[in-house]
Amino acid sequence: MNILIKSATIIDSKSEFHNTTQDLLIENGVIVKVSNSIKNPNNYQEVKLDNLHISQGWFDSSVSFGEPGFEERETIQNGLKTAASSGFTAVVVNANTNPVVDKNSDITFINSKSNNHAVALLPIGALTVGSKGSDLAELYDMNTAGAVAFYDYKKPISNPNLMKIALQYASNFDGLVCSFPQENKISGHGVMNEHITSTTLGLKGIPALAEELQVSRDLFLLEYTGGKLHIPTISTATSVALIREAKKKKLNITCSVAIHNLYFTDNVLTDFNTHFKVLPPLRTKTDVEALIEGVKDGTIDMVTSDHNPIDIEHKKIEFDHAKHGTIGLESAFGALQKIFTTKKTIDILTKGKSRFGIEKSTINIGNEPNITLFNPDTKYTFSINDIVSKSKNAIFENEDLKGKVYGIISNNKIVLNA
Amino acid sequence: MSELSVNHLLGIKYLKEEDIQLIFETADHFKEVINRPIKKVPSLRDITIANLFFENSTRTKLSFELAEKRLSADVINFSSAQSSVKKGESLIDTVNNILSMKVDMVVMRHPNPGAGVFLSKHVNASIVNAGDGAHEHPTQALLDSYSIRERLGDVKGKKVVIVGDILHSRVALSNIYALQLQGAQVMVCGPKTLIPKYIDKLGVKVETNLRKALNWCDVANMLRVQNERMDISYFPSTREYTQQFGVSKDLLNSLDKEITIMHPGPINRGVEITSDVADSKQSIILDQVQNGVAVRMAVIYLLASKIKQ
Repeated sequence: MNILIKSATIIDSKSEFHNTTQDLLIENGVIVKVSNSIKNPNNYQEVKLDNLHISQGWFDSSVSFGEPGFEERETIQNGLKTAASSGFTAVVVNANTNPVVDKNSDITFINSKSNNHAVALLPIGALTVGSKGSDLAELYDMNTAGAVAFYDYKKPISNPNLMKIALQYASNFDGLVCSFPQENKISGHGVMNEHITSTTLGLKGIPALAEELQVSRDLFLLEYTGGKLHIPTISTATSVALIREAKKKKLNITCSVAIHNLYFTDNVLTDFNTHFKVLPPLRTKTDVEALIEGVKDGTIDMVTSDHNPIDIEHKKIEFDHAKHGTIGLESAFGALQKIFTTKKTIDILTKGKSRFGIEKSTINIGNEPNITLFNPDTKYTFSINDIVSKSKNAIFENEDLKGKVYGIISNNKIVLNA
Repeated sequence: MSELSVNHLLGIKYLKEEDIQLIFETADHFKEVINRPIKKVPSLRDITIANLFFENSTRTKLSFELAEKRLSADVINFSSAQSSVKKGESLIDTVNNILSMKVDMVVMRHPNPGAGVFLSKHVNASIVNAGDGAHEHPTQALLDSYSIRERLGDVKGKKVVIVGDILHSRVALSNIYALQLQGAQVMVCGPKTLIPKYIDKLGVKVETNLRKALNWCDVANMLRVQNERMDISYFPSTREYTQQFGVSKDLLNSLDKEITIMHPGPINRGVEITSDVADSKQSIILDQVQNGVAVRMAVIYLLASKIKQ
């Protein structure tokens, strides 16, 4: 791969060229020269784009690509295409599949589907067999095949002893255990946040308490076992406070929040629009403010799109019956920039890689390029035309967003949006 | 005001106060009609109405059907205790199938909150919500207010307590909206397990002592405990519930004033109210039933006149 990138503003605080506008010469898959003006040496592909900015490649710690079993929602190939077009060079894919990815051979299957793609696809294996919450899956065996963490997607481990054992067992090989923060007996048949909006809609509520009880439990367990825990997609102010305290105690804990939980409150649900049905549910303004503060002060380690394609047959139905979830890769950058500065947005989008075993690659001479290309200033209304995913369940549809992605350079490949 | 501000009746929260007054004035006329020897008017001879009941109902269904027939509309009925989803057909498809037989209006009861709202966005017919899960039951709230107005002259300024299972009740929510829109004060009373945690944010008072609630109010609307909607026990036994939240004649007689007793039905005699209360002069339960037909005639007539435009 030989490429000349013209006039790119580099946003990479680890790079010596941070905050400068440069030409970059990539020869044989390596950045060989960075300078304010480089002549094209040999008819190389030239990348010259309006208001071009580049950063380290972006990372998402939670996506679902359907395959195997839910190909009507999304396929791995199209999922990877969506990720690349949205600026992501690495994504962690959940065991949100049918059958559930819970064996070495399942991990190998996922890996075989993503070989040689520009985007690195990092598979999660289920924590329990079939994600049924009763028996541990073969965690070590999956780990040797390349599973980066263990998680029953959106399913809490109700049995505290099982969670204790999982944390202890996975610590033998430094495995990362994920625990969905919801106490199911408290959440009951809830379909949205329990508050004034759920009361006015007559919809069953999921109290913030359901999440906070589970987070507390898991932090107590972690303190006892000394394992390595990640809590995906927290959503309440008290969860942020609990994890902040746990970090002060030096527990080995990380957590994430979904972008839509930073952006919307449960007020948007007033007309039963199922695009807003997500898990954890959209919460109150107080929660949103606390979550944003948690991202800013580092209590929350990662922000994820929690990308989850759902076919229209499971969304265009009564609210109670509709499936939880939204796609989010395509809107991630534009939405984050409505909340944070460009610098903070890039910081967020490049954080958390090491927790899932990926090395960071700065934009410096001698390094292989792992780069996202974007224009941070484009303003647009997110519409169905911006969706690459097979399913169109976008919570951000009709939102005014800021910032568009040009593409990525990663794994010795360049992918540019038309 | 001569027409409704809405094209569907999905809930009281989508109405304006003037809508309610228009419905009541129209219902006054129809109440006079249904007490004539010939109880029928030819107003809706060119309108076809489908009553779709995806949940069990006796009185609401009969009341709607009677209202429609008194207006000379053509009526078709579809009842299925099972939701269409369980049979594999989507709600939109079920309703569109029926609409393709040239139906103008749909009266729907459905177990899921928002089913009417959902349908109104996806099908081309006027929708009347006859109860959607724990969301709204607008015609019940309208007939309740209409009955208060009939008994006490006006709803404005009155104090109404809704007693019982507020958590699972669409009647409670619609009544809260309707009463507040007309300037009444509303209190809810029941065991804390059956009162939504954030209900006070709707501007209603919350009371767990029945005697205090009854002493405060002009009207007590007694709700049925909806055992069929409960996944666990919210109180230990019916006996214990009645001890705390049942209204008996002795309790009524011991109050400082004479209050009006309402019930949307069906009554569990001896649970939320005793028989002597249900059958007393203070009770307007059977007036509510009669007014239900007049109010539903008014709603259907007013919505149909918007279709005709």
